Amino acid sequence: MSGFALERLVPAHVQAFEAYVPSPPDDVLRRRFGVAHLHRLNNNENPLGPPAASRAVLARWDEREAALYPQGDGWHLRRAIAGRFGLDAEQVILGNGANEVIAFVIKAFCEAGDNIVTADRTFAVYEWLASFSGIEPRLVPLRDHGFDDAALLRAIDARSRVVFLCNPNNPTGSWWDHAKLARFLDAVAGRAIVVVDEAYAEFAEAPDFPDSFALMARHPNLIVFRTFSKMWGLAGLRIGWMAAAPAVAATVRKTTISYSVNRLALEAAREAVWDEAHIAASRAQVRAARAGLGALAERLGLTMLGGIGNFAMLRLPMPDTVVHRRLMARGVMARAMTSFRYPGWLRVSFGSAPAMAAFGQALEAVLAER
Amino acid sequence: MTGDDAAPCLNLPPGPRFAAVGAEFVRGAAAILGAEPHRGDRLALIAEEVLAASPPGSGPVSLALRDRRHAMRLELGFTTADLDLAGLDQARRRDVEDLAEVGLYLAARLADQLTTHPAGAGGLRLDFDVARSYPPRRAQPPPPGLGPVQGVPVEPDDATLALLVEWAEASGAGGTAFRTPARVLDQRAAGELAALVALDARRRPLGGLFWQSFGRRLMALSGPALLLPGGAGRAALATALLHAALARLARGSIQGLVVLEAAPDMPAEAFEVVGHLPDAAGGRHPVLFRALEEDPGGIAWVPDMLRGWVAGTVRRLGLGRDIEAPPPPARATGAAMAAETDRAASRVTLRPLLAAADAAAVALGNVALFRAQGFGQFRAVLDLGQPSHAAFAEGLVQAGLAPAALIPDAAGDLLLLATPG
Ligand SMILES: Cc1ncc(COP(=O)(O)O)c(C=O)c1O
Repeated sequence: MSGFALERLVPAHVQAFEAYVPSPPDDVLRRRFGVAHLHRLNNNENPLGPPAASRAVLARWDEREAALYPQGDGWHLRRAIAGRFGLDAEQVILGNGANEVIAFVIKAFCEAGDNIVTADRTFAVYEWLASFSGIEPRLVPLRDHGFDDAALLRAIDARSRVVFLCNPNNPTGSWWDHAKLARFLDAVAGRAIVVVDEAYAEFAEAPDFPDSFALMARHPNLIVFRTFSKMWGLAGLRIGWMAAAPAVAATVRKTTISYSVNRLALEAAREAVWDEAHIAASRAQVRAARAGLGALAERLGLTMLGGIGNFAMLRLPMPDTVVHRRLMARGVMARAMTSFRYPGWLRVSFGSAPAMAAFGQALEAVLAER
Repeated sequence: MTGDDAAPCLNLPPGPRFAAVGAEFVRGAAAILGAEPHRGDRLALIAEEVLAASPPGSGPVSLALRDRRHAMRLELGFTTADLDLAGLDQARRRDVEDLAEVGLYLAARLADQLTTHPAGAGGLRLDFDVARSYPPRRAQPPPPGLGPVQGVPVEPDDATLALLVEWAEASGAGGTAFRTPARVLDQRAAGELAALVALDARRRPLGGLFWQSFGRRLMALSGPALLLPGGAGRAALATALLHAALARLARGSIQGLVVLEAAPDMPAEAFEVVGHLPDAAGGRHPVLFRALEEDPGGIAWVPDMLRGWVAGTVRRLGLGRDIEAPPPPARATGAAMAAETDRAASRVTLRPLLAAADAAAVALGNVALFRAQGFGQFRAVLDLGQPSHAAFAEGLVQAGLAPAALIPDAAGDLLLLATPG
């Protein structure tokens, strides 16, 4: 015991980092907030669940397979994805959620003294992973709630290794079209890796939403992230992926962790690729929920912000963190946006019709008792 | 920033034999660090008293002197927390028989502030702060024709920060934190104060907001000090400053912002009222709170007599809390509290240091002592995340303190008790 000085062994950037503490499980939350049911409108999950074929895989799963390791790098699934997008299987890398893929990319390209460039008000994990890896996150302010291409370009310097774009952006739903992304890649001109996180791309119905896989041929520094957590309703199984030009993919593969994606996730995801009926049904559900939330916002006089994705933001006349708590006490979970640097805003996922109705009632009551 | 490794330090055996050596070390180090002789003497005397009073066999005592610029801090480290701290408790009477206790009592009185912390591997650290005094001076008022706002609030350079405080002081804006430019610069240089300032096109300060740490995971906000003349621009400026501060602190370790004394321009709609504090004038003012993170609920250890108040407040604020009855303290005797005195406000703030079964009597004794010395306002801060803190509640309530505010933190709500006006 004596002689063990923990601080001496911990790098300064880890000491300085504050661990992310996930929310407790729903049963604990229900007890603490004194409610019988909690509607989950905080994590952008798909209320329809996984596609029918994936559900069938889960239903017939032989539990003895739990004793067996999965195949180490998702052989079949990578081929299924590659086939769908006209890629080579070697260009596809799987991870235990897209979150793990973010870590692979930072490990592959960054060392001490390097920086990554992203927005100040976007998905937090790029910033966090860089910080606790000792890499400087350069946070560029959004412009009109969207990624600011000119300012991002200005932020890139000789030590910038990766630019993270979130397209569409979580939490604003703002997005770049194909031409804008292409122009940006031209301007970066290969000075850094450009990651386009397309976690919500399957919700995009606009014809000019980027075809990033096509851009990859001309821009070998482009990496595209996708996930099975949102459209595909497999968030609980933790599976996401990236695609890149062969040489870039081969570099990232060095920092991947084999066997990190489990058997069940691999099989369920393989069946999900690429169920157009499920996409159509989920998009219809999102359209209906968006219209309903828009009507609620109008009735309550709240500004609503959204674009592509299964979520939208509402601007509140009181602190978002207070509304979050009071909604919890009424059985509804939504996301307070101060931690996304949007103080006074709430992000709401497009849940089932009953969940959206419960949210509307609860929000109205919370605002009324102010 | 205080350079951790740059602080002069020394280890000495406990007891009176080396006490004078410790005193000379502190006096010399204080002089080299630039403290005026009378401050060096006070610090030396503290070192001498504590060393002399530390029981033999308690292991080596470490002394370190840290320059906080606006204060000099003497840190005394013990390898065990199992010390008799009774003498440190500022409420113990000077007429106690035990000489050692008198020594520690004196040491505690010589400091402007005393704080104790647990230190690595079961040890204990006592920090004695002696504040620097700043010569009084006349503040210059802001020039006419300031504004309009240009750009987003920034972390100001020293000259701009000094100007903001100077002008705020002359115009009475922002509250007590915005006084004495030299002190504010020292506080910031010591890493104990952060500032955001809004500028006009000529980069002159138009308003500012400060924050300083408050407990483990919170920041106390001061201000805003607004120098813009009356009009619509002021409210927008106050909100811009607050939003910039929230963005600056988001995604870090800070869970929330507390405002104990809101300046009139603080945008109230961005906060919730978590209680009220009596003020010297006999009135009451709201305690404001702004959480940065979602509150996922937690445990609050609440003694019986406060359960009703806490449960009611938890319900009113919509907090998710398991309210539990704390177990009795493990130690039978030796409870102690830290006291922070503010003579100008005639106020004492008490915090539990060490819980024991005699905690209630110790709390009562503390209040009685300072009351006898002419202090009129009492506050106490109990961390409801620490089961042991509850033991002090009964004595505080008997001494006339009542629950005033509940500052939410899922890892340990802070219960603020206060005497009525
Ligand atoms: C933009 C974005 N990227 C990545 C993720 C993480 O996805 P996964 O569940 O695959 O780790 C999320 C999840 O919220 C997201 O919003």
